[in-house]
Amino acid sequence: MRRSLLVAVASCAVALVGGCDKSIGPFEVLPALDPSSLDPAAGSWHMILLTGPTQIAVPAPATVTSAAYVAELDAIKTSQANLTADQRKTIAYWSGGGVMRWNQIVRELVARYNLPPAPKDEGGYPVPDAENPFGDPAFPFANPVYAARAYSYVSAAQYDALKSAWYWKFQYNRLSPAKNDNAIIALIPISGLPSYPSEDAVISGVTVEMLKTLFPAAVEEVTLKAAEQRNAALWSGKATASDLAAGLALGKSVAAVFLARAAGDGMRTAGGSAVLWKALADSATARGEIAWVSRDIPARPPMLPLFGQVRAWNMTPADIVAERPPPPPSTGSQLMKDETAEVKRTVEHLTAAQLAIAQKWNDGAGTYSPPGHWNDVALEYVRDAKMSEVRAARVFALLNMAMNDAGVGCWEAKYHYFNPRPSQLDPSIKTEIGIPNFPSYTSGHSTFSAAGAVILSYLFPGGATSFAAMRDEAGISRLYGGIHYRTDIEAGKLHGERIAGYTLSYAQSDGAQ
Amino acid sequence: MLTRTLQLLTLVAISASAAGAQTSDDGLMIAKRTLAAGVVYAHDRWDQYWEGTLKRTNGNIGTLTTQSTTLVAAYGVTERLGLIASLPYVRTHASQGVLHDLNGFQDLNITAKFRLLGTGPTRHGALNAFIAARAAVPVGDYTPDFYPLSIGTAGRRASGHLTLDYQSNSVWFANASAAYMWCSNVRLNRNAYYTNGQLYLTNEVVMPNVLDYTLSAGFNRGNWRVPVTLVQQRTLGGGDIRRQDMPFVSNRMDYVRLGGGVMYGLPKNFAVQLGAAHVLSGRNVGQSTTFTSGLMYALHL
Repeated sequence: MRRSLLVAVASCAVALVGGCDKSIGPFEVLPALDPSSLDPAAGSWHMILLTGPTQIAVPAPATVTSAAYVAELDAIKTSQANLTADQRKTIAYWSGGGVMRWNQIVRELVARYNLPPAPKDEGGYPVPDAENPFGDPAFPFANPVYAARAYSYVSAAQYDALKSAWYWKFQYNRLSPAKNDNAIIALIPISGLPSYPSEDAVISGVTVEMLKTLFPAAVEEVTLKAAEQRNAALWSGKATASDLAAGLALGKSVAAVFLARAAGDGMRTAGGSAVLWKALADSATARGEIAWVSRDIPARPPMLPLFGQVRAWNMTPADIVAERPPPPPSTGSQLMKDETAEVKRTVEHLTAAQLAIAQKWNDGAGTYSPPGHWNDVALEYVRDAKMSEVRAARVFALLNMAMNDAGVGCWEAKYHYFNPRPSQLDPSIKTEIGIPNFPSYTSGHSTFSAAGAVILSYLFPGGATSFAAMRDEAGISRLYGGIHYRTDIEAGKLHGERIAGYTLSYAQSDGAQ
Repeated sequence: MLTRTLQLLTLVAISASAAGAQTSDDGLMIAKRTLAAGVVYAHDRWDQYWEGTLKRTNGNIGTLTTQSTTLVAAYGVTERLGLIASLPYVRTHASQGVLHDLNGFQDLNITAKFRLLGTGPTRHGALNAFIAARAAVPVGDYTPDFYPLSIGTAGRRASGHLTLDYQSNSVWFANASAAYMWCSNVRLNRNAYYTNGQLYLTNEVVMPNVLDYTLSAGFNRGNWRVPVTLVQQRTLGGGDIRRQDMPFVSNRMDYVRLGGGVMYGLPKNFAVQLGAAHVLSGRNVGQSTTFTSGLMYALHL
């Protein structure tokens, strides 16, 4: 009886933890891409930075009857006859779609690098150094606005590169090897999309070049991934070596255009200087307001105070200033006292459901950031819509340009007003999530989310109700977390919607509707 | 020799004080048809912790204090089989920074302990072997996603324990124990997290299993029992805390902790205990110093 009791306890215990298999995943599964449309007109869709689809010339390919091309076909047959299990896995992985796969990879990079520098023993903080990306601190600190900009550069560059690729594809009309030679097996769904230049190689080339600058310490990993992507296209019967070479060259050339813009867009100096940080505080004090002070211990310099002057995609610097939200309640006003009291009341009586919302949208240090969260949301819609690579790139480009511009506008407002966090005005307020190291007004989450919801609702009208609910939840999550006043959230939402209007105008006349 | 009452109360006290440390391994059994109950208070604090293997302080935490009050009860089903239950109420507090305190009931622990083999009294003393099975279930709706302030992992756990105990014919005792703990996956309120070099696009976190080794020695005399205990916890997987990141629920939390205590049997079936322990080395844990005190009462049915 004793033994059976013990056995009973032991077996209950094992049942309790759910047996031995604890494996999870795979996550965000991407079935083999089989687009519902080839989007043959994408070569004429409006460019973002390129002057037109022919700015980067792609030379004419060899004919399908040429000896060189036949040799390329033979090489594919040899590869296909000797495929290993690992190679087949690579093919399956990349068959999910290059734009979506790279979006997943960039989100992972953001999460990896989204950590602030640790304080130095002698006091103060080191500054991440692009020339020493492997050091401590690593470069970059992929904070929300760094991330917003990074997502936008990768997405916009992919989009322009693919539009150009589409132009040349239909210019030369050389079909994929599996269509040109019956002995080559289509190991993935292969459409009638011309394969010269290869879209997979275009995406791999443009993305890796952007990431080498944006996340230089990840160079080895992303270079290997990109080579895998091109190999997968070859092994699967989708592209020949010359399809890939032409695509790779085109992708790299387009990246150079975007990197030239990035080098001079103001990011390099967005960190400001000690003189600037003091001037920002003095300016708020001169207006009779309590100036923001870092809540970090030791106090940390404000995050990228000049990001508000970084070049936006679809707004001029004058637009950014013109759209700046009206001032927040004065720090001495009754309204501000009431709003501070509301924050305190909220965190002290937080329900489990409210905490869940605060954590769901926290997207703080060490995560893929709020713009990453909206990319996460978008991906499932892109996947389910079975979009061509170029149309998928359009979604992410529009979404991320709008969120980048939201970041620029929000940061311009934050550092213009330099408004303190609730826990600064009332130090007895303790937060349910980490507190971001920049001024309070307006809420970045609210601004990013409102901008993201506008763009996604335009592109996926069926999801509009859901996007609006997510936008509102993301906004109010900051009050639940104890890090924002209600006014920050409401003003941020309106601001984000106005900012997204600029990208929306572009989208409504880009020739892709 | 130890009085019988103190013996069983000691068992309960050890069980309770270890509520946060996942070990309850010693060489004692509770007497048949005896019910013991008590309360143990533990005060644990650290101001340095290991970020991976890097030992550091953190201005946004200052000193992290964890206080727990554990209700504990034990019952001797037979001379060889005992049941122990415990439930801690835990409160955390960071002395600096803006992060909010957390508090609540943590996990209900149920242990069944069985004396497997014993030599009985011999010329050289007595040797006994025990096995135990333990289950832990979160009872409070607390969050595992706010380390280092979270009060627990919010996961279910089951463990198996094997203990060898030697009792000399004079006052000395020594025992050695090993435990393997299976940990269920836990769920967060968010759909993406990064740990161990990878972005996970899910709210489910794989929790690594845990091995514990315990060595204990000391003496029993009259109303006194004085043990010294060395515990090593090895987490079988999980990632390190990244540079300047918050700790994460599935981090590889390893430590070696040295502790000692004094238990004293009072008249009328009461006993008190005092204990102290300090983490000597660790990984992804605080270098904590813990003080415990407990009061127990036994009822012979």
